[in-house]
Amino acid sequence: MIELTGISKEFRLNRRETVRALEDIHLSVKAGEFVALLGPSGCGKSTILHLLAGLEEPSSGTVRIHGKPPSALRAEHKLGVAFQEHTLLPWRSVQSNLELPFQAAGLTVDRERIAYLIQLVGLQGFESARPRQLSGGMRQRVAIARSLALKPQLLLLDEPFGALDAVTRRHLNHELQRIWLEQRATTLLVTHSVEEAAFLADRIIVLTGRPGRILREYTVPFPRPHTVEHTRQESFHQLCDELTVCLDPSIRSNKDLSGSLS
Amino acid sequence: MRPHSVSAYGFVGLLLFLGAWQAVGTLHLAGPSIPALTEVFAIFAEPWKLALLGRAASSTLLSAATGLVAGALLGATIAILAHIVLPLRTGLDRLSVVVNAVPAIALGPILIVTVGRDWTPATLAAIPVFFLIYVTVSSGLRSVSPRLKDAVTIMGAGRMTSLLLLEAPAALPAFLGGLRVAVSAAIVGAVVGEWFGASTGLGIVILNTMLNFQIPMMWAAVILAATASLTTYGLLGVCEGYARRRFS
Repeated sequence: MIELTGISKEFRLNRRETVRALEDIHLSVKAGEFVALLGPSGCGKSTILHLLAGLEEPSSGTVRIHGKPPSALRAEHKLGVAFQEHTLLPWRSVQSNLELPFQAAGLTVDRERIAYLIQLVGLQGFESARPRQLSGGMRQRVAIARSLALKPQLLLLDEPFGALDAVTRRHLNHELQRIWLEQRATTLLVTHSVEEAAFLADRIIVLTGRPGRILREYTVPFPRPHTVEHTRQESFHQLCDELTVCLDPSIRSNKDLSGSLS
Repeated sequence: MRPHSVSAYGFVGLLLFLGAWQAVGTLHLAGPSIPALTEVFAIFAEPWKLALLGRAASSTLLSAATGLVAGALLGATIAILAHIVLPLRTGLDRLSVVVNAVPAIALGPILIVTVGRDWTPATLAAIPVFFLIYVTVSSGLRSVSPRLKDAVTIMGAGRMTSLLLLEAPAALPAFLGGLRVAVSAAIVGAVVGEWFGASTGLGIVILNTMLNFQIPMMWAAVILAATASLTTYGLLGVCEGYARRRFS
């Protein structure tokens, strides 16, 4: 479904300097797959989502979704996005914020769909609440409901739980899996949490620090739905350990060192 | 400091100010140019003077209101245009600054020969209103976070839809804030505009009473203009406060 071929992306800092955010990214994602992009801060994970959303153009390489450029998917309103900041309109109620995607796309508001989404993310009774009256976790639930409003074929989640506390975050990870199992949209999740990636994804792409390159790829061995029991298994911890080592070059070099000594 | 104690201080300050004014007037401390408050308010008790002031005030306020509405519509429209059509933005920014930088006194005679003496007050009221609304609406429209813009763009909204759903509501408090400040500018513009030869108005009353040394009558006209300005300022402040709570 998604094909990223030979992507590199440079940003201009000023007249003379540029910074290279991504280098030689090849990535393909099948329809219905849940892929996590894991990497240290500033490795260009979010840039990949921006490229897929058509918010930015790659410096070289091509982005194809169903064989077409990202703007085509956007024009069909089949793209859902949730960011770390909730990006809800502060003057609109929960209900009204969920009407926004329909209005922005020039479609008639589907009240049944909105009622279903509110129930799906467990916010019944908060329809008329404003974002500022909600907790951080509830706002992210609204943001996720909003990203699903138009039944997207591609769901882009840019650290949607990054600003939440650990307990809320774990809880919402379980919720997200439940929601995802009902919707089954192709999903790309950007995160720097190893446990989040290992719990939610079918496949994990680990990126290196600046410039972002694909370092390794892991397939998560557990069957769906992933449960708390899975997270207690030795293989889950082993996966998390490996991912952690991948993320932190200093641990990696220490390990190489100890390996060479033995 | 708690809000009600602030307003209590304000009230005490106002009473002290009015008391001092009354004292300066009755004791003739500043000569005949500052009459006692009671003398000024006695003017409103004289029916023919009251009627004269009423006619003058309604004419001035009509000019100010016309200027306010025209200036606000023009300012908001041009700000939206500058927001949507990027290549025009810098040019329109500069144009509005230039329009505002020309002194009203220099424009007066030109307006007399172009729009005529009856429309000069409204035109001179409209100019500062246009500038204030252009500036506040522009900055209000630009205040939307790029994240929100991205989110709405991803949903497939074009520039116009985005303006309607996102930027316009976000700019509403700034617009009302601009309108609030613009009211006093509009009344000043209308009064000054009348000095170039309007047939009636508070500006004319102020000018004539000054030349004829009818000092209490002059102060009465000034107080009317100030009261109109302050009342509208207060009312729009309430609207702005509501909009700020509602739209941010």
